[in-house]
Amino acid sequence: MTNKNLNSKPLEGLRVLDSTYVFALPYAGGHLADLGAEVIKIEGPSRPDVTRTGGYAGVFPENDHGEDWWNRPSTFNLINRGKNSVVLNMAEEEGRELFRELVKISDVVMENFTPRVMKNWGLDYPNLKKLNPNIIMISNTGYGHGDGPYSSYPSQATTAELSHGMANLTGYENGPPSKAGASFVDFLATWTAIFALGGALKYRNQTGKGQWIDIGMYQTGVMFISEYLLDSQLNGHEPERIGNKSPYRAPQNCYPTKGSDQWIAISVDSDEEWQTLCNIIGSDSTSELRKFPHLTDRIKNHDVIDQHITNWTSNKDKYDVMHLLQENGIAAGPVINSKDIHYDEHYKARNFLEKVDYPEDRKMGTRLFLGRPYKLSKHPLHITKPAPKFGDHNEYYLKTILGIDDETYDSLYERGLIADVPGDREPSPTFDPAKRVESKNLADWDPDYKHNLGI
Amino acid sequence: MMNNVFENITILDLSEDVAGSFCARLFADFGANVLKIEPSKGSKLRKSGPFFENDPHHEKSFPFFIHNLNKKSITLNIETQIGKTIFKDLASRSDLIIESYSPGYLKSIDLGFSDLEKLNPKLSLTSITPFGQTGPYKNYKSSELINYAMSLIMSISGIQGQQPLKHAGLQAEYEGGLFGAGATAMSLFKTDLTGIGEHIDVSITECVASTMMASQSIYPFIGGTQTRRKSEGSNSGQAAQATKDGWVVWQTGGGASWEDISEFFESPELLEPKFADRAQRISNGPEMDEIVENYMKTKGKWELFYKASEARMLFGVAQTPAELMECEQLKSRDFFHEIEHPYLGKVKVPAELFKYSNTPYKLRYPAPTLGQDNIEIFENNLGYSRQQIIQMKELGVI
Repeated sequence: MTNKNLNSKPLEGLRVLDSTYVFALPYAGGHLADLGAEVIKIEGPSRPDVTRTGGYAGVFPENDHGEDWWNRPSTFNLINRGKNSVVLNMAEEEGRELFRELVKISDVVMENFTPRVMKNWGLDYPNLKKLNPNIIMISNTGYGHGDGPYSSYPSQATTAELSHGMANLTGYENGPPSKAGASFVDFLATWTAIFALGGALKYRNQTGKGQWIDIGMYQTGVMFISEYLLDSQLNGHEPERIGNKSPYRAPQNCYPTKGSDQWIAISVDSDEEWQTLCNIIGSDSTSELRKFPHLTDRIKNHDVIDQHITNWTSNKDKYDVMHLLQENGIAAGPVINSKDIHYDEHYKARNFLEKVDYPEDRKMGTRLFLGRPYKLSKHPLHITKPAPKFGDHNEYYLKTILGIDDETYDSLYERGLIADVPGDREPSPTFDPAKRVESKNLADWDPDYKHNLGI
Repeated sequence: MMNNVFENITILDLSEDVAGSFCARLFADFGANVLKIEPSKGSKLRKSGPFFENDPHHEKSFPFFIHNLNKKSITLNIETQIGKTIFKDLASRSDLIIESYSPGYLKSIDLGFSDLEKLNPKLSLTSITPFGQTGPYKNYKSSELINYAMSLIMSISGIQGQQPLKHAGLQAEYEGGLFGAGATAMSLFKTDLTGIGEHIDVSITECVASTMMASQSIYPFIGGTQTRRKSEGSNSGQAAQATKDGWVVWQTGGGASWEDISEFFESPELLEPKFADRAQRISNGPEMDEIVENYMKTKGKWELFYKASEARMLFGVAQTPAELMECEQLKSRDFFHEIEHPYLGKVKVPAELFKYSNTPYKLRYPAPTLGQDNIEIFENNLGYSRQQIIQMKELGVI
């Protein structure tokens, strides 16, 4: 069910059943919606996505829970843009029957339950294939399906990051292993799913066959440190943690600039670039710095060099330093934080952040969200619509698409098999942003953000 | 009968960095016919360490090896007139070109997308660069650290009061390659339906920034700017904690209740409200850290990992590359495939990113040696004589 019209988006006509939670595949679903797919987010009546509730939800517009707090969190709304929502109790056979009916009229099923769940429900790939022979199924789990020793273990990105090897290699010099501030490996699974689906769609287009895509987040993380695995295997080398430095470029580091927690990253690639940098820094430092013309000298004396560079950067604006060094052919860039990105001229010129207008009844106003990291020259893409309210498309899919009569629908609703309010959940608490800055849970708070963003 | 999802696709890989090379490798891994086109001195990536035996030889770069599996290689100077003609000939028979040059370079030598699509309307071009093809920074220089700094992730990684911290290796470059492959696969699917290719513009910094969904959206919702973790304490599982023989991390969630967690640490005092209650637990973090760290420093990291995972706790164990090479879980997933390379010898290659049920992964060849397929491509595919090939060599074309 795809579209041969040149002007339609790449996935227009494709229907995706997105029975996934948290970040990895839900975000893949959001990206598929941007690409034109009809994405149906399936949640359970008492099992709303954790990005609607609890610690994963992010924050609420103007810190206000509102009446329907479960539809309002920032993280949920960013990830699930462009989708439709059906709330269905898959733990009951009657709910699973409705799911099966939807499988019959869909192209793709995505799920991220632990390996036993879909099997126990009779919804694993061999069973889905019987319902719809050309269905493409994407499963994402912590460690992947199969009979490996960890296959049944629970997992999530923030703890997996140690296991998949990145944290042990990351950290300040002489310090402990360090984790990313975000759920790193989730997004490797997001894009593994998108890539794998693109291939599966091409294959289906040519053969008429669907297939099953089995992603284990753990191995996607391990793949991203491949050169270290070879260095260990073939050279017996176990690397040390080196902060922001590099064995191949020096000086390379992150230096303080004017303002609170403002930084510039500088990375010198050659002896010529180093000479240029010495000339730019000028004054008293030059003669001292010229003692280190070669990479090996600079690696050995990195700390001395860093002190001179810090003296030079610390009273300058981070953007001014970037432009000055870049004009002179030296790689440099400011540390851009979650406020800066909204005002950075490059991200703005590329329209990387997109304005999403909510309908009046959502009481969410206009918000800006991360778009896509790519542009297609013949298919301009945009976030198509806001993330859906919980169960907002129950009636459309069950009545209009599946043809269930009013009486049956009402009975499903009364018996809690479908819902539009999540049962048994509390919103995550809100905190005064000024106090969060005081307690160092936020770097900064801009009370005029709406005015400054023009929203 | 198709054995691989991309087996009917021919790709020219001009990229000299990790991102573009990894992108092309992913297509090669799943069946595409990928030809690496290198300058006569070899791709810049061949100069990237670490190297086998620490010897900076152009066939011994680990990054080049790993990101060019399953490809062939020819040398070709695309700045010469003959080189351009040959390149256009190849482009007219291909589906996709992947490149990582500074934006505008290919156009400046008359090989921009508008020049190439005239020859072959189904051709697509994927360009993967630090800042993308447009915008004021498009030609700025970058490196892994700069990519990281400019994409939000560094601002929240590391510890407050210290520098923002980059992650190890080339995570941004890998993300550029994988995300670029995703966008390209979707576009190629559309080309299958329409017969018309397009230019795919991938920005590495946007790839990394796009992952910062929890961070970015705080600002337009409440005006907040996210920060790094505090220096003291584990901050509810944000920092690694020490065991007898290595580092671990644990978090609430998964399938374990707080009672299960208290039992895991053999510390009934964790059941007191100041720890059991989520809100109180945050303010009593340091005290809780002391209890669990006292317990864990008497135990081995693997003992703890197995016990925690059986208790359905979210638990990570800091693994070294050597440990990962021996990991039974990775083996069970066929993550490693073995292959012989003329310079590196027998190598266990990190190979399978994921599994397709119908079209299994195949490691067909190791990374190509420089120009190893010149004769096959120039003589057999393009029909040049040996004499002409020797001449082209002398003219610096190949």
